[in-house]
Amino acid sequence: MKTVLVIGGGVTGLKASSELAEMGYNVALVEKEDYLGGQVAKHKYYKLAPDLRLAGEVIDPVIKAVESNSNIKVYKHSHVVAVSGNAPEFKAKIKNSKGESEESFGAIVVATGFDHFDPTVKQEYGYGRFKDVVTNAEVEEMLNPNGSTKGQLKRPSDGKTPKKIAIFQCVGSRDRQVGNPYCCRVGCVVSTKQAIEIKEKYPDSEVYVYYMDMRMFGRGWEELYGKAMEDYEIIFTRGRGAEVTLKNQQLSLRAEETIMDRPIQHSVDMIILAAGMAAGEGTIDAAKVLGIKQNDYGFLSPKDDFLSPNESSKPGIFIAGADKGPMDIENCIVEGAAVAAKVAGSLKN
Amino acid sequence: MAENTDKMVIDGVELTGIWKEFLPSRILYEDVTTEFLDEVKKLPGGSTIVRCYQCGTCSGGCTLPDFVDKFNPRRFIDLVRRGHYDILVNENKDLVWKCVSCQRCTHRCPKGVNTQEVVRAIAKFLEDKKVFGKLTNDEAFDEVFMEEVIEDGRIDEVKIVKDFYSKTGRLKDMMSADQISLGFKMLTSGRIKLFGGKIKDWKKVSKRLKEEIQ
Repeated sequence: MKTVLVIGGGVTGLKASSELAEMGYNVALVEKEDYLGGQVAKHKYYKLAPDLRLAGEVIDPVIKAVESNSNIKVYKHSHVVAVSGNAPEFKAKIKNSKGESEESFGAIVVATGFDHFDPTVKQEYGYGRFKDVVTNAEVEEMLNPNGSTKGQLKRPSDGKTPKKIAIFQCVGSRDRQVGNPYCCRVGCVVSTKQAIEIKEKYPDSEVYVYYMDMRMFGRGWEELYGKAMEDYEIIFTRGRGAEVTLKNQQLSLRAEETIMDRPIQHSVDMIILAAGMAAGEGTIDAAKVLGIKQNDYGFLSPKDDFLSPNESSKPGIFIAGADKGPMDIENCIVEGAAVAAKVAGSLKN
Repeated sequence: MAENTDKMVIDGVELTGIWKEFLPSRILYEDVTTEFLDEVKKLPGGSTIVRCYQCGTCSGGCTLPDFVDKFNPRRFIDLVRRGHYDILVNENKDLVWKCVSCQRCTHRCPKGVNTQEVVRAIAKFLEDKKVFGKLTNDEAFDEVFMEEVIEDGRIDEVKIVKDFYSKTGRLKDMMSADQISLGFKMLTSGRIKLFGGKIKDWKKVSKRLKEEIQ
């Protein structure tokens, strides 16, 4: 029985590994961090849209399925540094602090995922300059009882609970200036979810969302959007955030209220930037090591977007999840299972 | 204009009289057209107008609204694109040219619209349509100045003053006593010369420049 190499221990990689192991294949799962769970674990995601279900309820069973399966060997804190050979005989060098080892594999699954966009380059939003401008990933960690603030939303500058909160949509997505003209596909629903969570926890607070379009295409997303407006009185303003300044020690944002045809200046206590998804560092490394095709934005290109979405440009190397482009957790799990089936099929021939 | 009829029936009740005078229609009965968009697109700097997706980043961060009420690049683009020519002229013709070219909008535009150039192109579009009417002093001086440069390749102070006054129809003012005494003083102190020098073979350059502007 041939062994399958899975690169990346996020949701997709975990699901692919456990599905393959259940089919009887041996799996080597390589993860660069010393924990499993990818971005969900790294940023301690608290609740998932649209059901406001605990992220742990989803990610823990997936991790458990991997850790409890004896067919899966997990390499934490490891990198794949070199790959040689062709399908179905690959040789891969796996490197970690203890040293290097070379093993042979029948197929390779790349599930290296995404990185949160770093908004420092959007200088006008003041991320990095003003302490109270934070990203949505940081808020996720704050809202998590196991996070740095034990579930309390606090201003990083003075530790106080903010009363007026603004959320800027499309930070680092749909933006040619930073080279990411694509939609991040999750920012709208994540911000709506976070706004609801904040209003639930602090009913006195006011949450304003500055958006260009609210793209609620997923399961139950539109209903959540309606709920945010009807039940939680979250104010959605159509106009992209233009700049953030400090006026009398208070954050002040400028945007255009496009429906009123005029710019508005708005003083708030905290600004959350809904940073989008960029190709992960691991994804760019993997593309280099494996020599597979990337698209203009660094994500991996499938052989055929419609007909073979999980095959890379090289035979025997498969791709799945958010390394192909922005994707939500629900679809990442689907991708993980889909790629497992594809790999099993290819090893049978 | 709204197609008002003399009689209107609401819920079976007929309204008579001059109801249309206190119920002006809010409907825009304009024939929406993209012909103005095509025109602006062809002007220098106007080509990126088609990229705009109306997010408002330009107007949100614009320097001007603190000083110039209702200056709104996003709206100018919107009006051109939808062909709302009357609104553009009636409400915005005095605004579009006030852009100070700080380029904040251009640097921030997420769609890569060269907003400052597009606003300039819209101003040029309106200028070509002759909507500004009488020239202001600044504009008249600009025109005289450019004509002189293209014609002679240099500025002749006496000629430019004369042309400027004649363009604004104030030749009489030029002949006023204090203007003449000022001119005399400048002439005797060598500040201005009665006849400016000529540039060799400027005729050729001038011809080429005119061709280029055409």
